[in-house]
Amino acid sequence: MSRALTPWLLPLVLLLAWQAAGKLGWLSTRVLPTPLEVGRAGVKLTASGELPRHLGVSFARAAAGFVIGTTLGLALGVLTGTSRRAERLLDTSVQMLRTIPHLALIPLVILWFGVGEAAKVFLVAVGVLFPVYLNTYHGFRTVDSGLIEMGRVYALGRWQLFRRVLWPGALPSVLVGVRYALGVMWLTLIVAETIAATSGVGYLAMNAREFLRTDVVVLSILLYALLGKLADGVARLLERRLLPWHPAFVQPIAAAANPDDSVGSEL
Amino acid sequence: MSFAAGGVSVEAVGVRRAFGPHVVLDRLNLRVAAGEFVAIVGRSGSGKSTLLRLLAGLDQPTAGEVRIDGRPLAGLSPRTRVLFQDGRLLPWLRVGENVALGLDDRRRENAARLLERVGLATRAADYPGVLSGGQRQRVALARALAAEPGFLLFDEPLGSLDALTRVEMQRLVEELWRERPFTGVLITHDVAEAVTLADRVLLLEGGGIRAEWPVPFPRPRATGSPDFARLVEGVLGRVLGRPAQMT
Repeated sequence: MSRALTPWLLPLVLLLAWQAAGKLGWLSTRVLPTPLEVGRAGVKLTASGELPRHLGVSFARAAAGFVIGTTLGLALGVLTGTSRRAERLLDTSVQMLRTIPHLALIPLVILWFGVGEAAKVFLVAVGVLFPVYLNTYHGFRTVDSGLIEMGRVYALGRWQLFRRVLWPGALPSVLVGVRYALGVMWLTLIVAETIAATSGVGYLAMNAREFLRTDVVVLSILLYALLGKLADGVARLLERRLLPWHPAFVQPIAAAANPDDSVGSEL
Repeated sequence: MSFAAGGVSVEAVGVRRAFGPHVVLDRLNLRVAAGEFVAIVGRSGSGKSTLLRLLAGLDQPTAGEVRIDGRPLAGLSPRTRVLFQDGRLLPWLRVGENVALGLDDRRRENAARLLERVGLATRAADYPGVLSGGQRQRVALARALAAEPGFLLFDEPLGSLDALTRVEMQRLVEELWRERPFTGVLITHDVAEAVTLADRVLLLEGGGIRAEWPVPFPRPRATGSPDFARLVEGVLGRVLGRPAQMT
């Protein structure tokens, strides 16, 4: 119990100190409103339906861009990771594009798409694509060649070799890419929404700034932190679910000897 | 147990394998009868691994040919399996799935039976990562035999095991070979192991087979007898390039 609570001790102390500093007047609420004020702003915006709406919009943009970028990155990575011919044809080009910071595309993207949804989704997709591509490609290229050779000796066809050896071998690296991409996803969205948007959490913060509503600005920042943490949690969960064999997650022998998982059901 | 077909004969005829200017094997001839168990010993760098890869069909000779049951081998043979030095189990598949890897429907049931035969039926649902080195090699052995191979190549499969586990594994390999009609070729630098398991021991040296010893001891083999020790000593002396000495 105490072990589970230990990581939260420091944030709690900081929160209390922050509240006290604001209450005692050491910290102007214009600079930094107290946590309670931020909380109140959150409640009020939630009640008015404004906050859920902006959150929903941001989430939809993030998800759409992430799905598009990940799908493309995965497909490209699988292609160049498993076929020498595709690697020769594509890898150099992708690596060249990768060196352009995707946020540098913002002016161009606004010219192309205006400030509509497409612009944000496009930017997130581009940002997500490269880390997923790189780690997928790298994952396939670093699968233990001894295992591939074993697979060939043990009569695995091309599809079986992919499904049984290559894909699971590359998966840990793919998931590292996905986790990194989730970080890029929020970062891209924050920047895109604060520069050119009429809705979303980033817009909420920029709009509040104009009205000197520091509490709402701080609330937006905290929301981003929360969403980021949530995405990271999803990524960890995914790793745990998809890599049960991995030394980092493997269960002790006693717990792994589950009678329901007997060989009969596997074969 | 019923098996569709027995062991196959394995031949190497005038085999040469060169990597650029570096000739590893040259005019190598070798004949292993169906159902025979032969060990090939040699010092490191003698070309043992190259020969194994050629016999397995993982590599092609520069000249000459390998024949399985009289037919020239081109690429992998569906009836050949290799027991690799490091086991090469797939860490993401459970033990039971590893043993069933690549089996057709007819042989699927072999997996559970062989896992039981090597004494690991209770570990079918575990990942290989939680097994000991000896257990992993037993799983690899079960996987190799589940496919009912006609030809099984052993690539120093016991090299990394501790002494006791090794003896256990040697007994198990001998038992399983006597139960089933597969042709076995063991590649090793361990002379005692070669003499324990094989019907014949061949010496690979200078790119070819340079000496041959029949192993006349009845099976299952007792490795403690003076005759056994003398033969091991004799082969070892030849491998190391000094005249055999009696002890």
